[in-house]
Amino acid sequence: MTFSEFLVANGGVVFGGLGVAFAVMFSGIGSATGIGIVGQAAAGLIIEEPEKFGKSLVFQLLPGTQGLYGFVVGLIIIGNLSVDMSLAQGMYLFAASLPVGFVGWGSAIAQGKAAAAGISILAKNEEQQTKGIIYAVMVETYALLAFVMYLIIANAVAF
Amino acid sequence: MAIVKMSNFNLFAFDSDKDNLLRELQKFEYVHFTNLDEDVELKEEGLTNVTVPESILEVEEEISKTRQGINILSKYHIEQTGIKALIEGKPNFTFKELEEKAFNIDCFPILEELDKLSSEANRFYEEEKKLTDLKEELGHWVRLESPIKDLRSFEQSEVFLGTVPKKIAIKLKEDIVDLKYSYVESIFEDDENVYIFSLTSKDESEELYEILKSNSFSIIDLKGEGTPKEEIRLIDEKLERIAEEKEKVESRIKDKMNHLKDLKVVYEYLMNKKLRLYASENFLATESINMIQGYIPTDMESDFIEAIESSNPQAYYMETKEAEKDDIEVPVLLKNSKAGKAFESLTTMYAVPRYNELDPTPLMAPFYLGFFGMMAGDIAYGLIMLVATTFALKKANLDETKKQFVKFFFYLSFSVIAFGALYGSFFGDLIPIKGLVNPAEDYQGIMIAAIIIGVVHLFFGIGICGYMRIRDGRYLDALAEAGVWFMALIGAIVFGLTMFFPVSDMLNTGAKWLMIAGLVGIVITGGRNAKSVGGKVAVGLYELYGISGYIGDFVSYTRLMALGLSSGFIAAAVNMIARMLFETGVLGVVFGIVVIVFGQSLNIFLTLLGAYVHSARLIYVEFFGKFYEGGGKKFNLFRNKSEYINLKCWEEM
Repeated sequence: MTFSEFLVANGGVVFGGLGVAFAVMFSGIGSATGIGIVGQAAAGLIIEEPEKFGKSLVFQLLPGTQGLYGFVVGLIIIGNLSVDMSLAQGMYLFAASLPVGFVGWGSAIAQGKAAAAGISILAKNEEQQTKGIIYAVMVETYALLAFVMYLIIANAVAF
Repeated sequence: MAIVKMSNFNLFAFDSDKDNLLRELQKFEYVHFTNLDEDVELKEEGLTNVTVPESILEVEEEISKTRQGINILSKYHIEQTGIKALIEGKPNFTFKELEEKAFNIDCFPILEELDKLSSEANRFYEEEKKLTDLKEELGHWVRLESPIKDLRSFEQSEVFLGTVPKKIAIKLKEDIVDLKYSYVESIFEDDENVYIFSLTSKDESEELYEILKSNSFSIIDLKGEGTPKEEIRLIDEKLERIAEEKEKVESRIKDKMNHLKDLKVVYEYLMNKKLRLYASENFLATESINMIQGYIPTDMESDFIEAIESSNPQAYYMETKEAEKDDIEVPVLLKNSKAGKAFESLTTMYAVPRYNELDPTPLMAPFYLGFFGMMAGDIAYGLIMLVATTFALKKANLDETKKQFVKFFFYLSFSVIAFGALYGSFFGDLIPIKGLVNPAEDYQGIMIAAIIIGVVHLFFGIGICGYMRIRDGRYLDALAEAGVWFMALIGAIVFGLTMFFPVSDMLNTGAKWLMIAGLVGIVITGGRNAKSVGGKVAVGLYELYGISGYIGDFVSYTRLMALGLSSGFIAAAVNMIARMLFETGVLGVVFGIVVIVFGQSLNIFLTLLGAYVHSARLIYVEFFGKFYEGGGKKFNLFRNKSEYINLKCWEEM
């Protein structure tokens, strides 16, 4: 069995698995980084005003959703995996996983920065903190679009 | 319309009545003063500013003393937390009760004593800090076993104690090799510095000192007599004594804790008094008459007159007239039904409407309700919200803002339950329920529904814009801002649909021409306010470019599906993990339950947070962007925003 024969025979499930990995991995890295960024900013606030802990947690959680979208996409792809799937189908699933992985990565970090800036609204003008949340949520639209695009791609072609 | 109608009033009253009048008005609460300071015309007629009475200084000082007293006591006060604190809440007062209570509290002896005690406690703190620092410094030198005073009293030799940075320590050893009568030893090391002891003869001391200095040596002057060890022991003894004394003072402060509530009452009273005194900054005056201008809600005029008359029944003159509709200076007060009031905070968070605009609250609330449910739909989550908010509303003593916030979620819970039933979701798939649609399989259907909802929502927004223009008699603006857009968008949508699903050629062609007419209309009407012909064309084309934004707007509504789906999937994933654990035996069941409780709680929080902010975004960006300007002035109630008590508003009294 040559390598290309092996690839044709087993490549489908391998690429499908890679799709799961990419969706979860990159969006997860992004969310972790974003949450970390907000956490650092929030920790500085808590030194002076520990009673704002709960509210700062809201900010910190905002960049976490990308990781969740990646996780959900991963789960859906796992549901579609089978040992005897064709190489084309596997590669297609792999391609479908890319938007949520990469957009999730970048947008979670950007959202983390916006949310970290929102922490300073919380510090100085607590009443207006919801506006800081809205700013950060604006970023998330693009992660959502990537997630929606996965759903569209996954249903566009029937194997 | 839910923007309260305002009346402008002009009130002339005797200066001697001012204090009384202001007190009555503060009780009445619904007065918004206009600042007459900038009214040049009136000033030219010889009216002068009213100076804030001298007594303000006294009040300010009392406030700062009370505040300080509260701070001192709060430092030692263990705040109640959790449900018990929520139920108890802040004490309720009417304005009259607050005044009566505050009059009967003589808090100044207490404040003075607190001040004395706290400065005593502070002295102990400082001393403690000083000794602790000293102890830490000495701690570096415990290996020196000779008394500190001996180090200073050599006749032939000299001792240097100090630190050099760790990196340089080796270089220092090399540098002093040439010196005959010098000796350097490191006594202690921490992360950055080496603590060195150096001994030299008096003849060589200058040379050594130069070398040390060139190696970033910083000299340390140890205080004390005995060996460092002995000194540390002495300090420990002192610290113990101080701690005892401090505790005594602190317990005396704690004895005063029962006065904390009274102090808070006095503080709130004084803050209102301050506001009242500063209010006269807004007035103008002749020698004995004050001129006061401002706004009151039109339907409260008789109550307003009653309030004035209870200060002095005869000696005043007042005229009122309805506020000009387009006057930007008119303050805006929103009034909505019970349910609408809960959504008001969403509107004001974006912007207070102008006096001539609509209050968008009742227009957006039904949509918000639907959006929230669609994104968070789950029967169990909704039931949890319903139970928690009902409990809080029935049992807890909440202040007005919190109450409205809880009510907001109370209403939302119904929508969440309804969509949960539609999706057949109970903690995700924990208990299988047959819903009307299964989001996991039929998400394309939900996505299309979401976009259709978006189209309806946006058209509604454009429609409101058109309605407002027609109401104001600006028909051309109505056509330009709503009419042509309707034509272009409806035409484009129908044209697009008939391309994919051909019904009849006539519909297709009709839609095409409607769209073209709309687009041309946008270009022609878009630049109606520009001056030159070139400007008109440029602005018109720019307006046309705005149509690309609509594609983004429609796509944006897919989040209604995406968020609902993702929260459902997370819940399902939690359940899946729990089920796998359940199969592994008794211990697995225990862990499985922990996973479900923890995972579902996290998901509830994330889902509700997501639904809250994303619904708000659809309202703010997509919907308000079509018609709502905002930027009105907020009606400032003549009350201080209370911090420690719930001050009942006038209507509740």
